[in-house]
Amino acid sequence: MSLLELDSVHKVYGSGAGAVPAVRGVDLALKSGETLGLVGESGCGKTTLGRVVVGLQPATSGTITFEGSPIEGQYGRREIRRRIQMVFQHPAQSLNPRMRVATMLAEPLKLLTDVSNGEIADRLASVLTLVGLGPEYAGRRSSELSGGQQQRVAIARALMSEPDVIVLDEPTSSLDQSVRSRIIALLRRIQQERGVAYLFISHDLSTVQRNADRVAVMYLGRVVELADSQTIFESPQHPYTKALLSAVPSMDLDERRTRVVLEGETPSPSELPVGCSFQDRCPLVHDRCRLEAPTLLPIRPGHDVECFAVETQPAVTD
Amino acid sequence: MLQVNDLTIGVEHSPLSLLREVSFTVEAGEIMGLVGESGSGKTMASLAMMGILPPGIEFRDGSVEIDGRRLVDADGVIRRTAEEMAMIFQQPKSALNPTMRVGRQISRVIRINQGVPADEAQHRAVEMLAHVGIPGAQRVAKAYPHQLSGGMCQRVMIAMALSCRPKVLVADEATTALDVTIQAQIFDLMRDLVAETQAAVVFITHDLAAVAEMCDRVTVMYGGQVMETGDTRSVLTNPQHPYTRFLLDAVERDVDPRVEEKGVNFALTGCRFAHRCPYAFGACSEFPPMVPVGDSHHASCFLHADERSSSVTA
Repeated sequence: MSLLELDSVHKVYGSGAGAVPAVRGVDLALKSGETLGLVGESGCGKTTLGRVVVGLQPATSGTITFEGSPIEGQYGRREIRRRIQMVFQHPAQSLNPRMRVATMLAEPLKLLTDVSNGEIADRLASVLTLVGLGPEYAGRRSSELSGGQQQRVAIARALMSEPDVIVLDEPTSSLDQSVRSRIIALLRRIQQERGVAYLFISHDLSTVQRNADRVAVMYLGRVVELADSQTIFESPQHPYTKALLSAVPSMDLDERRTRVVLEGETPSPSELPVGCSFQDRCPLVHDRCRLEAPTLLPIRPGHDVECFAVETQPAVTD
Repeated sequence: MLQVNDLTIGVEHSPLSLLREVSFTVEAGEIMGLVGESGSGKTMASLAMMGILPPGIEFRDGSVEIDGRRLVDADGVIRRTAEEMAMIFQQPKSALNPTMRVGRQISRVIRINQGVPADEAQHRAVEMLAHVGIPGAQRVAKAYPHQLSGGMCQRVMIAMALSCRPKVLVADEATTALDVTIQAQIFDLMRDLVAETQAAVVFITHDLAAVAEMCDRVTVMYGGQVMETGDTRSVLTNPQHPYTRFLLDAVERDVDPRVEEKGVNFALTGCRFAHRCPYAFGACSEFPPMVPVGDSHHASCFLHADERSSSVTA
């Protein structure tokens, strides 16, 4: 059984003519202890989806179940909030510059649990050591720390309540490459030690490739492809995934790639065309795509694609 | 085409220097990558070249030459024209004037720098917009920046920078704020325009993969110091400076744990990477010379200075 399941989750900002559907019917499952990468370009709804999972924003419709029971409307409950935590993109903005590290780290435990002060002190020391800072950082303020150290504090804060799920929203995007590499190694080690599941949201495909067990690719509020990491990066099937991957610059100087350069730009989510939302940029578009929207269907076990062109390949029969 | 020699800049009333003896050259039609992490001085170097250093930062020494003309006068002030050098900034939306239609912003650059009448300048602005691949250039020329997407604004910036056909183009993280599919479009556009105009391009980025994709040569900076420079293939496949190796490791592997996670120390008078370098030794408290380490490939490191001197004596 999956730890966390999203069933047809929608999130619409605003209402009426100006409504922006940011997430449009997402089904996803996060297994215990895995890393699910959520990738896509700006405006695809990946951050909104992460915020809905943590409960920072209510879903407009759809259900989210945690360990088999629906949790909508229950985000006020301390137990759920303790078990699903989040790390944000900009550590300098998500940490309180006036608080000492120890106070910031103790706060989730004081709000969400009834653990004793002694237990808080124990966890503080072990978590600070786990994130590679050490207990001597307890008395520091975040303004005295570098960007990499601040992100370690943010990760430590998420770990304090011993969550089962951490939503990582672009956790390394504001960091330099060498610091990024260390934070990724740290996140991997934490997962091995604590068995926590990550929903890893990023626009940086190479970071996701190094980190995720499975990857969901989002475009305009829908998951258009979902598979294990190796499949996504080695044999992507959706034309958008192919274009996205081929657009990423490569370090390999001898690699000759057939680059799929997409025409135009992502349309505004408030003015979506009828049918498939990728139709205006898709190299495989045909008449059916302009009439009806495809749905996410398995093309093999563990590999789902939302595209008529892929569905109708003769290799797939159902 | 572009020659930067021993460029040194620092903070006013302070002995600290933000750039130390930075030198590089770029040929016409060549794209030269300037890479480094935050605080490496790559953006400072470009602002110094453009003569637009922020307040409190002073030009100390060095020269900038375009096509043999020295841009720095006796007072250390850089004067250049839009025909000589133009720049594309990282955040196109903040670099453009939000209160002026984009066509007018470009035509002003043309009118002021080339002294052509307003209607002729406006006509050329629309032509430039079409030239950088903007569909419906006539219509877009009448738009304000907030009505355009980030990718579109960056095309407008490129059109503006190229409107006076500069000999040198400085692109400072020109695609960092854009999505990868849009970045791929802008890269294609830049490559085509460079081939066509034969501009010398200084391509500033933190992304080594973008360097591999775009640049003929690359200069690696750290702490305001050039660490290594050379042909892209040579530097990326056979890095000679410990810092370059560390940076390359960070892209695909885990970094060398011996390299401590510390910020740049601008107070170091020797090699600025010495306090993190696993190979640092006594000599590193001096400023390391730039020594040849291969065909048109140089590194600023005593490890190689020693090798060279021992091979010379042997």
